[in-house]
Amino acid sequence: MMRAASRNAVWMAVIALAVVFLFFRSGLDFDYVIPKRLARLAAMVIGGVCIAWSSIVFQTLTGNRILTPAIMGYEAVYLLLQSVLILALGTQSLVLLGPNGNFLFSVLVMLAYSWILHRWLFRRGRQNVYFLLLVGLVLTMVIGTFTQFVQLKTSPGEFSILLGFTQASFGKAEPAQLLASAAVVAAVCLAGRRQLPTLDVLSLGRDQAMSLGVDHPRAVQLHLALIAVLVAVSTSLLGPTAFMGIFVANTAYALARTRRHRVTLPTGCAIAVGMFILAQLAVEHIFNYKTTVGILVNLVCGGWFLALMARTRGTA
Amino acid sequence: MITTRNLCKIHGAKAVLRDVSLQFPEGKLTSLVGPNGAGKTTLLMMMARLMEPTQGDVFIGDRNVADMRRADYARRVATLRQSPDFNLRLTVEDLVAFGRFPYSRGALTPQDMQAIDEAITFLSLEPLRRAYLDELSGGQRQMAFMAMTIAQQTDCLLLDEPLNNLDIRHAVQIMRALRRLCDDHGRTVILVVHDINFAASYSDHVVALKGGVVHCAGAVHEVMTEDRLRELYGLDFEITQGDRGRLCNYFNPPGELK
Repeated sequence: MMRAASRNAVWMAVIALAVVFLFFRSGLDFDYVIPKRLARLAAMVIGGVCIAWSSIVFQTLTGNRILTPAIMGYEAVYLLLQSVLILALGTQSLVLLGPNGNFLFSVLVMLAYSWILHRWLFRRGRQNVYFLLLVGLVLTMVIGTFTQFVQLKTSPGEFSILLGFTQASFGKAEPAQLLASAAVVAAVCLAGRRQLPTLDVLSLGRDQAMSLGVDHPRAVQLHLALIAVLVAVSTSLLGPTAFMGIFVANTAYALARTRRHRVTLPTGCAIAVGMFILAQLAVEHIFNYKTTVGILVNLVCGGWFLALMARTRGTA
Repeated sequence: MITTRNLCKIHGAKAVLRDVSLQFPEGKLTSLVGPNGAGKTTLLMMMARLMEPTQGDVFIGDRNVADMRRADYARRVATLRQSPDFNLRLTVEDLVAFGRFPYSRGALTPQDMQAIDEAITFLSLEPLRRAYLDELSGGQRQMAFMAMTIAQQTDCLLLDEPLNNLDIRHAVQIMRALRRLCDDHGRTVILVVHDINFAASYSDHVVALKGGVVHCAGAVHEVMTEDRLRELYGLDFEITQGDRGRLCNYFNPPGELK
């Protein structure tokens, strides 16, 4: 079938890209270059899966094609945390916590944030996703302002370290973090796999899902929790990737030509991983590290996002 | 049989529905009629468990529906709200297949396929089977959503203004299909309908609501009288009995509107 062929083509392209990434100008150096590249590739795969899954499921829950979980303020919390750490402990914080400590701490803080957010919102009986979005949006702005305030207090040296945290990169992930993240992401995907048909029903909207026997509030809470875990992992591992999710999700819908999650989720993962590899290849071999993956990804995705807004205005 | 006991819904200080105790006869077509804001949709949504009553209970047989698991309830009662306009790219067949979710949770069995075929045939949708929903007219879309609800194969169907925005031909088509569901398949159909003449021509039973309370309820000939309709809508009605049934004429009442 045509559809299956184009889906396989996406995966083939990603595998080909991965091979190119591993071996291009490596001098077949299996002691240093290739293991390092393997670690970066692993970070891309984990990050790609996190971003694709969280964005597509988030768009299903909200019934909106131009949202990503970033709107809930996770990335803002991450940046605030890093800024406060640098301000409070200075550059010492890097040594004090170590890369693994910082990773773990970030994940925990982001999970705590989403737990408090959901708990507070759902306890008050507000089960309205739009209200959740509004609160998330306001919190993002408030936290962002705090972050700027904190950053004004840092010294130029400290600020340059902070800048490193504000941009996605694959170089900073340590093997231990990669292993832990891979385990968490695999667990989430396994838990989510059984829910795929339910996700399809959820995309029909609250009322229709409920009259088809889905316990809507519980399903939404479960999936928001899974999304929180994925976003926490990807942000701690790579840094913020604001626009990326919109690009990935919409390209996945276009390529898959269906909204069945059994198809869109794997396709989205492939697209995200492919994008990351392309950007990293460009950074390493074309721009010679003069730009970052984050900038390239945001440039492409930002442009795409604008085009999408222009095209779907009125319906989105 | 669906029964409601002392159903109330209060939004803030306003009672949208007060003390509604009704019995909906089994295997019959019941219309909920009344002016805007009478609480028709609220009542239907509470029976569908899409809205929690502030007070009171809904029973199916002698079981309180609040105690039933939602997945079990979806095999007893199917609900269709006004056709939602989502921007999903789905074919009619895909949509109808969702009606089988309460049974198979997504993995379609041969039995499910048969139910899907039956629902599509029931509404004569075969020519549109592989058409995408966003390419259909409003009436065709409404038929597709109805087919999904029918594929759910429940004893009871609740429909919220299924005739909304439809041309008269599609409206007749839908009402005839609902009539057949009652007569040939013994299903109970309860719907909110604004067109009083469709209610008069196709229902067995009518519940008239006004201002959140039951104005009157009973067999169609008991409720559809000039006096009762005048009280209900504040309009002068002339009811004529022709060969094709009862016709409620309210289009050009004499005198000023009160």
